Amino acid sequence: MGTLWVFYPSLPVSADFSASGEALPPAWDRREELTRLLQHPAIWRAGRAARIPVWPSGFPALDEGLPGGGWPQAGLIEILPSRLGVGELSLLMPALAIVTRRPGARWCAWVAPPLQPFAPALEAGGIALERLLVMRIPRSAARRSFLWAFEQALGSSACDIAFAWARQPRPRQIRRLHLAAQRGNTLGVLFRSRGEAREASQALLRVAVEPLEGGVRVRLLKSRGGARGAIDLKWTARADSVEPT
Amino acid sequence: MKAQKSADLFAPDAPDAPDAPERAVAPVSLRSVTPHRAAKPAVPQALSVELWLGVRIPAGEAQAGQGPSPALTRLATLARRLTPRVALAPPDGLLLEVKGSLHLFGGVDGLRREMDTACAHCGLRGTLALAPTPLAALTAARAGRPLVVLDPARLVGQLAPLPLKTLRWPPKLLDRLACIGVRTIGQALRLPRAGFAQRFGAAQLKDLDRLTGRVADPRERFEVRLRFRRRRELSFELENRTALLAALDPLLGDLERFLEARQCGVLSLECRLWHRGHPPSRSVLRLAAPLSDATRLAELLGERLDTLSLPAPVCACELRSGFPVPRVLSSGGLWQPGEHGGSPGAGSPQFIERLRARLGSEAVHSLACLHDHRPEAAWRATEPATAPRVESPSRGDPERTPRGAQHLFHPLWLLPSPRRLTERGGLPRYRGGLRLASEPERIETGWWDGAEVARDYYIALDTHGRRLWIFRERNPPHRWFLHGVFG
Repeated sequence: MGTLWVFYPSLPVSADFSASGEALPPAWDRREELTRLLQHPAIWRAGRAARIPVWPSGFPALDEGLPGGGWPQAGLIEILPSRLGVGELSLLMPALAIVTRRPGARWCAWVAPPLQPFAPALEAGGIALERLLVMRIPRSAARRSFLWAFEQALGSSACDIAFAWARQPRPRQIRRLHLAAQRGNTLGVLFRSRGEAREASQALLRVAVEPLEGGVRVRLLKSRGGARGAIDLKWTARADSVEPT
Repeated sequence: MKAQKSADLFAPDAPDAPDAPERAVAPVSLRSVTPHRAAKPAVPQALSVELWLGVRIPAGEAQAGQGPSPALTRLATLARRLTPRVALAPPDGLLLEVKGSLHLFGGVDGLRREMDTACAHCGLRGTLALAPTPLAALTAARAGRPLVVLDPARLVGQLAPLPLKTLRWPPKLLDRLACIGVRTIGQALRLPRAGFAQRFGAAQLKDLDRLTGRVADPRERFEVRLRFRRRRELSFELENRTALLAALDPLLGDLERFLEARQCGVLSLECRLWHRGHPPSRSVLRLAAPLSDATRLAELLGERLDTLSLPAPVCACELRSGFPVPRVLSSGGLWQPGEHGGSPGAGSPQFIERLRARLGSEAVHSLACLHDHRPEAAWRATEPATAPRVESPSRGDPERTPRGAQHLFHPLWLLPSPRRLTERGGLPRYRGGLRLASEPERIETGWWDGAEVARDYYIALDTHGRRLWIFRERNPPHRWFLHGVFG
């Protein structure tokens, strides 16, 4: 088993193996038992992604790289496109289609989108439009109204996914949003500019997006237990994955 | 002598006072009736089952528009003190069934005094008439004759001299009747029924029947729409939001009890905060569904107060509700939304209300597609559907299944309005050169509604690798515009 690091809180493992005083089971038997034991959700093995509930991203190559095999279902992630509109939204479209079309879907909130989401294209992408909720922050409203609305969307358990486009959120605010997202069992997606990649962030996952010819290059800047490096995605793969099966 | 006196009492403002023989039989005042009534039970009053008080308010106060005028509604609300059966007869009439209230208010005289007081309170001078049928009371009041007819047998005789035009029939019809010499109600009543119906319409015959009580004349009851309004003077001037909410708490509790007693909720609630030396600050809360729960109202009001900037400390606060709306109660969900497949419907109305309380009701909306090829007209903002959905929305619905890679040709972002692009050598530029990456898609439609477009759309790549949706006008001057970003 080599370098296996196991962290298990309050599990009487040693008692299982030796305290009974009986002869130890054969080696293969023990290994099986150990494997079974390691299935326990409280155990997290270093070097392996934590088992977290995820939404499939719709891109098999991306799913492989993401911790848990998809976008997390609860928590805040950051997407850092090099420019607004290089393909960061298309990247999330398949997941959005899967989430909004499942039975009992909750809201998908768009907090203060920079432009108007174009409904026909979203519908053509397989998204159930009646699950979308677009929030405009009035110009007169204070800046904290934006953060308030995003936190409400994340923490109220009424949304499956909440998108927000922020300008220079502070690390403290991000931490608060992340906690709200975990409380509400919501995936929060914060779009930030690429230049803010250096700033510390509590987000579960930080993904930089750059344009490619007919696709995007995704760089995982931070992922708990996931892969690092660049993953190239092509848009043509997207259309198939959206088809409901 | 007594009859003469009472006639003077009742006909002070009638310009065309009835002539002598009619006056002898006409008005019967309470003074002349009540002693008889006390003496012998078989007085004429007992013959009529109902007694209607007709009130006509001056034409200036009755507006010609639809629905009862505010003055009339106000008067009707006051009149509810006298009897529960109040009916509106727009534009200028009001009817009260007062048979049961006569004794309580001291007979006809007392009742008339009460009604006159009510009219004076509204700043009106009404004409009153009492008759056993509603239409007769109304007609007499409209004719300006303060008749008091307690005996149905005398009704026709009393109505006979009234001009026919007080029934408000069409003028053409009245002209035709005048041509055959019929100008008063009495003359009309003397015409043969079958012939009358044939020549002047069955509706008019029915009017006459209702006038005399031959057929029933049910009237729609006027229901007062109550609103909650309560003000509280504060012993200290307050500025703090938390303290203000605490001060509003008893008012909200009162409101909750008020609404619970009526099984109603409110759709709008106004909170006024009064200051010393400043006009009051107002904050109006609009709700998606009827609500009566004080805790939730306090929470929403707190969001409103957060955004309100007060010019001075608050010395008094006031709550004014909108009209109560019947509330539909439903049992709450066992699971939290999102938990064990719990439906989203349970939590989402509160969520949306909270957002709207702070951001404004237009700020939160959902999206829907419209059948139009023009991008700006192909979508609209809709009210968020708060009802929980049981099934997957579009599984097995062929129209709603995704159309393959088609959406690759339309952008996910649309600009609020097309933005003009600069040109160099006939090619568009947007912060650098643009490279056209697709065949043109022609959209030429909308000639029928004045917003005609004739455009060739292209997908263009900018220097940052973004895909943009641009178009060129098909008509001169063939300008280029940016309309969408693929995102």
